[in-house]
Amino acid sequence: MAYTCYITFPTTFFAIRAESVLKNKPCSYKMVPVPRSISSSCGTALRCECNELGAINIILQNNKIEIEGFYRLEEIGLKTPSVEELFLDE
Amino acid sequence: MNNLYFDNAATSWPKPESVYSSAENQMRNAFGNPGRSGHTRTLEADRLLYKTREAVAGLFNINDPARIAFSLNATDALNTALKGYLEEGYHVIHTAMDHNSVLRPLGRLCKEGKITTTTIPCSTKGYPDLDFLDNAFKPETRLLVINHASNVTGTLAPLKDMIITAHKHNAFVLIDAAQTAGSMAIDVEDFDIDMLAFTGHKGLLGPTGTGGLYVKPGINLKPLREGGTGSQSELDSHPESMPERLEAGTLNSTGLAGMLKGIEYILDRGLGNIKEHESNLRKYLYNSLAELPGINLYGPAAGDESSCIVSATISNTDSGEIGYILESSYNVLCRTGLHCAPLAHKALGTFPEGTIRFSPGIFTSKEDVDYLVKSMKEILKLVQ
Ligand SMILES: Cc1ncc(COP(=O)(O)O)c(C=O)c1O
Repeated sequence: MAYTCYITFPTTFFAIRAESVLKNKPCSYKMVPVPRSISSSCGTALRCECNELGAINIILQNNKIEIEGFYRLEEIGLKTPSVEELFLDE
Repeated sequence: MNNLYFDNAATSWPKPESVYSSAENQMRNAFGNPGRSGHTRTLEADRLLYKTREAVAGLFNINDPARIAFSLNATDALNTALKGYLEEGYHVIHTAMDHNSVLRPLGRLCKEGKITTTTIPCSTKGYPDLDFLDNAFKPETRLLVINHASNVTGTLAPLKDMIITAHKHNAFVLIDAAQTAGSMAIDVEDFDIDMLAFTGHKGLLGPTGTGGLYVKPGINLKPLREGGTGSQSELDSHPESMPERLEAGTLNSTGLAGMLKGIEYILDRGLGNIKEHESNLRKYLYNSLAELPGINLYGPAAGDESSCIVSATISNTDSGEIGYILESSYNVLCRTGLHCAPLAHKALGTFPEGTIRFSPGIFTSKEDVDYLVKSMKEILKLVQ
C-alpha cells in the first residue's frame, strides 16, 4: 500500500511561514488544498513523502511553526482514502 | 504644468513606480482570494500577504508578524483597537492633539455612558502637558492614546516618556502612527508599545484602503466585524487566532501589494535618510516662510524635531481663499481649514478658522519649496 503524508496548520500565516522556512532546504513537499477527509482550520496543507515527514517536522519545530496535525493517507486515486492521524514527538 | 504637491500629510504622492506596478501585478497574477481556495493563485496571494506582514514587522521591529492585522486605514485600526478593547467603566486618557479618528469613537463611547475620558492639554506648539498626564491616572484608567505626530503641526509626542508613565499606572498605550509610519523610527519592542495603528497611504507610500493594527500578545480584542476568513469554516464563531481574529472578509490584496513595495522603497532608501531629507525640507520651508511679512507659523520651531508639516495663517485672511489662489494661479496643492483635529486647533489658537498646511514629502525638492515660497510672497502682496 502506498501512502502520502500531510501537515496541517492552525492559520494561513503558519502555512506560508512553513513554506518559507523550508525554502532552500533539501526536502520535497508541496503546498496543496487540504483533502476533504482531513479536518483543518486552514485550507492549505503541506504534502510530502511520508519518509520526509520527520525531517520536515524538525525544521518546522526549530522555527516555531504552529502545527495542527500530521496525517497519513492511502493513495487510492480520486476515491476518499482512509486517514490515519500521526503523533510525532515534538 | 505639473502640480506641486504639498499635501503629503493627507496622502502621499507620487508613489514609487514599483507601487503602481505591484498593485497591477497583484490583479493580473496573484489574484486569488487569500486564505480561501487551495489553488496556486490563492497561494500567491497568501505569500504576498505573508511578505507584507513580515515587511511591516521589520519596519516597526515587531517580533511576531502574526500580531499585525491589516485594516482599511488608520481610522479602521483605531476603531478596532478602541471598540475592541474598551469595556464598561474604563477610563481613557488622550491628548488634545488627537485626530477625529480617536476623538469621535471615544466621544461615542462616552455618550453611551460606557467609558469616561480625560484630555491632556497641549501647549501652543502642540506638546502635551506631562505633569498633567502623570496626575490624570485613576484606578480605572486602562488606556492612554497617543498621537505620535500631529497632523496639524507635525509636533512629536514624547512617546517613550508617555509610555513609561502609562505602564507605571498599569494602563496600556495605543499609538496613532498615521503621520509617522514610514518617516520616523518606531520600535515596538524597544518602546514597549501595546497597540500601534498605522495607515498605508501616507508615509508608507502605498495605495488608499490599506493600513493595520499591531496588538501585543496577551491583548485579545473583540473584533468589530465577523465573517469569512477561509479558516475554521465549520465553526459558527469567528476564529480567535491573530491575524484572522481581526481580518473578517477579503483583504485589499491589491492595495497591500502596493504598500509592500512602498515599505521596501523606504527600507531601501533608509528611514534615517528619509527623516533627514524631510527635516531639512521642513526647516528650510519654515525659515523661508518666517521671513515673509504678515504670516503666522505654528508648531515646533525650525530646528526642533517634528514630522514634515508647516501650518500657517495670514492675519485677517481666509485660509481657504489662499489655498484656492495657490492652486488656480500657481498649481500648488495644499490643505486649508480645520484638519480633522478640532482640539489641536483650539490649543494652537486657530479654531475655527484653521490653517494653511504645507506638507512636503520624500519626493519634494528644495526647488519646489523655493517655488512655493515665491508664490506665497506674491499672494501676500495681493492681500496686504
Ligand atoms: C493623526 C492622524 N490620525 C489618523 C488619521 C486617519 O488616517 P486615515 O484617513 O488613513 O484613516 C490621520 C489622517 O488623516 C491622521 O493625520
